[in-house]
Amino acid sequence: MSVNGPSVPRPQPAAASTAATSAAGAAAGKTLAVGATSTQLRKAVVVGGNRIPFARTGGAYTKSSNQDMLTAALDGLIARFGLQDERIGEVAAGAVLKHSRDFNLTREAVLGSALSAETPAYDLQQACATGLETVLGLANKIKLGQIDSAIAAGVDSASDAPIAVSEGLREVLLDLNRAKTVSRKLQVLSRLRPKDLAPDAPNTGEPRTGLSMGEHQALTTAQWKITREAQDELAFNSHRNLAAAYDAGFFDDLLTPYRGLSRDSNLRADTSLEKLATLKPVFGKNLGAEATMTAGNSTPLTDGASTVLLASEEWADAHDLPKLATVVDGEAAAVDFVHGKDGLLMAPAFAVPRLLARHNLTLADFDFFEIHEAFAGTVLSTLAAWEDEEFGRTRLGLDGAFGSIDPTKLNVNGSSLAAGHPFAATGGRIVASLAKMLHTQGQVNGRPARGLVSICAAGGQGVVAILEAL
Amino acid sequence: MSGSQTVILGEMPALSKLYVNAAAAAARRRVLGTHGGTELPDYTHEVRSVKAGVANLTAYQHLIGESASDVLPAGFIHALAFPLAMSVMNRDDFPLPLLGMIHLSNKVVQSAPVLFTQALDIRARVENLRGHRAGTQLDVVAEVRAAGQAAVGQEEVRWRGVSTYLAKGVFLPGIDKPSVPVTPPPFAVPDPTALWQLGVDTGRAYAAVSGDFNPIHLSVLTAKALGMRRSLAHGMYLASRALADVGAVRGDSFRWDVAFEAPVFLPARVALDISTVQADGGAWQRSDYVAWNPLSGRRHFTGSVTALP
Repeated sequence: MSVNGPSVPRPQPAAASTAATSAAGAAAGKTLAVGATSTQLRKAVVVGGNRIPFARTGGAYTKSSNQDMLTAALDGLIARFGLQDERIGEVAAGAVLKHSRDFNLTREAVLGSALSAETPAYDLQQACATGLETVLGLANKIKLGQIDSAIAAGVDSASDAPIAVSEGLREVLLDLNRAKTVSRKLQVLSRLRPKDLAPDAPNTGEPRTGLSMGEHQALTTAQWKITREAQDELAFNSHRNLAAAYDAGFFDDLLTPYRGLSRDSNLRADTSLEKLATLKPVFGKNLGAEATMTAGNSTPLTDGASTVLLASEEWADAHDLPKLATVVDGEAAAVDFVHGKDGLLMAPAFAVPRLLARHNLTLADFDFFEIHEAFAGTVLSTLAAWEDEEFGRTRLGLDGAFGSIDPTKLNVNGSSLAAGHPFAATGGRIVASLAKMLHTQGQVNGRPARGLVSICAAGGQGVVAILEAL
Repeated sequence: MSGSQTVILGEMPALSKLYVNAAAAAARRRVLGTHGGTELPDYTHEVRSVKAGVANLTAYQHLIGESASDVLPAGFIHALAFPLAMSVMNRDDFPLPLLGMIHLSNKVVQSAPVLFTQALDIRARVENLRGHRAGTQLDVVAEVRAAGQAAVGQEEVRWRGVSTYLAKGVFLPGIDKPSVPVTPPPFAVPDPTALWQLGVDTGRAYAAVSGDFNPIHLSVLTAKALGMRRSLAHGMYLASRALADVGAVRGDSFRWDVAFEAPVFLPARVALDISTVQADGGAWQRSDYVAWNPLSGRRHFTGSVTALP
């Protein structure tokens, strides 16, 4: 297995792959040769991060828009690293629940921030993987030398969610706009029915299955026989670890208070396994199997924003800024959940083995695992799949099980079950926290401390990444 | 603000009561004549531990185009202190009629940022009664400090606002007399950097977030009752939007001036030009702004936001 060669069998025709390589090679020539060897690319480093505390929906940030929260998180980052009037190479951010008027959300937030108005920005959207994908995309630009500095970010408000008019009303309004005469306008208006006036609120249902994300996960949780007790224990650890991290001051340089909050409002430092055990199941109640997913072991709807400052080593040095970790590599995967081949949130179970194979690494080579807790069942199903011989052989093309992780290395400073999960903001929360943990850890057994990030997303997608300490 | 007597109010006075009281005082004066005073009351009104409401703050920020940060916009602090300033002008010993006074200009020095979580001590007084070609003018001075620092003595003023008002057509004996207006130099209309579309409800919307329910801003009918042909936009709404348009480049401390000219009758389109002046090193030094009616070319207001030395 070589570091750069594709080592996991990929289901793409060899001819197509060769053609793509040769076409790109012809166009890029020498540059591609350099690009193909990752050791010769320059590093993209995480300088630091800043987020606002995450708030349960309908709480402290009810009236704050995505742009408000993103700007607040950006301004905290700018203040922390002295970026006032700085022209950053590029800022990328996104929101999952996004008003159509916010087509330039990130650029508008940049214009409202203390950054130089000459900082370009773009919006990105990949469901819950949005935040991590902004990190990977911008890190790649830094590695290629296209930019020297970047801010990756994400924001979401479930409180200030867009509400669309019904399809019926929308079509009438558009036709009305096109109608030239009064009689034609009246004709168009006469098509309106009372039901057309009901608004169309966003939901977490998958368009192709009609099942909510929770119901999808309930299927997966049952399929992998994840117990209620195991899920509650994961949720309990998340709260306990996050509370301990706050108490230890871990978030002091990762977070700026906003709207009166200085901690995530979902955090229940005093929760217990007994309390969690009393909660009634909310998902999977109509399955044959026992319903195990409760409000305690599922993430609540949350509002919040996070940012990560990325840079080349030269830029960080020139600005006298810290270098916490490098963004080594990332991988996206998707599964065919529509007809139940795999669970909706199981794509990281495929992305991680592919990414690790590319780097000739195993799960034993990692010191921290940051597996996003969409639901406790998601994390545990993923771990169960990796430990399953059959899954390893038939789905991952390995000789046996992919492997298991040391549970004491998992989400050691808490994760989404405790902090909450403002969809696009979760990636930035994880990357900034992990980079700090890695930097603190430094070297392990003569090599840089290494961390794995895994984030599942709607649409059966997942994005994962490797970070290493600096 | 030394030398004068301080009256500590238990809570921020209600503007609605002040306006009703002012209307009653105006009626009384119409019947009984003015009380003949020619000096401003030498009293400072103070309210302690004032806190901004976060819902109101967010609504204000959204209305005038500021990002909803935790820092109180300078114009929001003006609105916060406004009822106290009004209460001084509403005193029985205040020599000018409060209703119908015209806001001529406003000067604010924001020395340090004020967070919405901070409790504030706010003081207001009136001073500098002086002549104007069209009547009598005076300054209302408001100061904002972090609460609980009164014992320290020379506590830091975080925000200081001087609002100059004109009592049009009121000439107090011994202070002033009518004079011929000085013709200002013609206004050369610049290229606009922004164009505001102000709906007929602009005054009501700003009243809702600022608490300033002066009838001349609320509707055509209430404005006509006070002799205006239509309702008009609050001057501080316009100036606060200009301040928001200058943007984050201003930082947390700055000087913010505005001089009002032709009123903005609603609904309206207002053209705005903001020009930036940079220091030698390229750092932001000042943003000058001017707003005008794009149809008539009449100037509505001018002002600037300046870095503090």
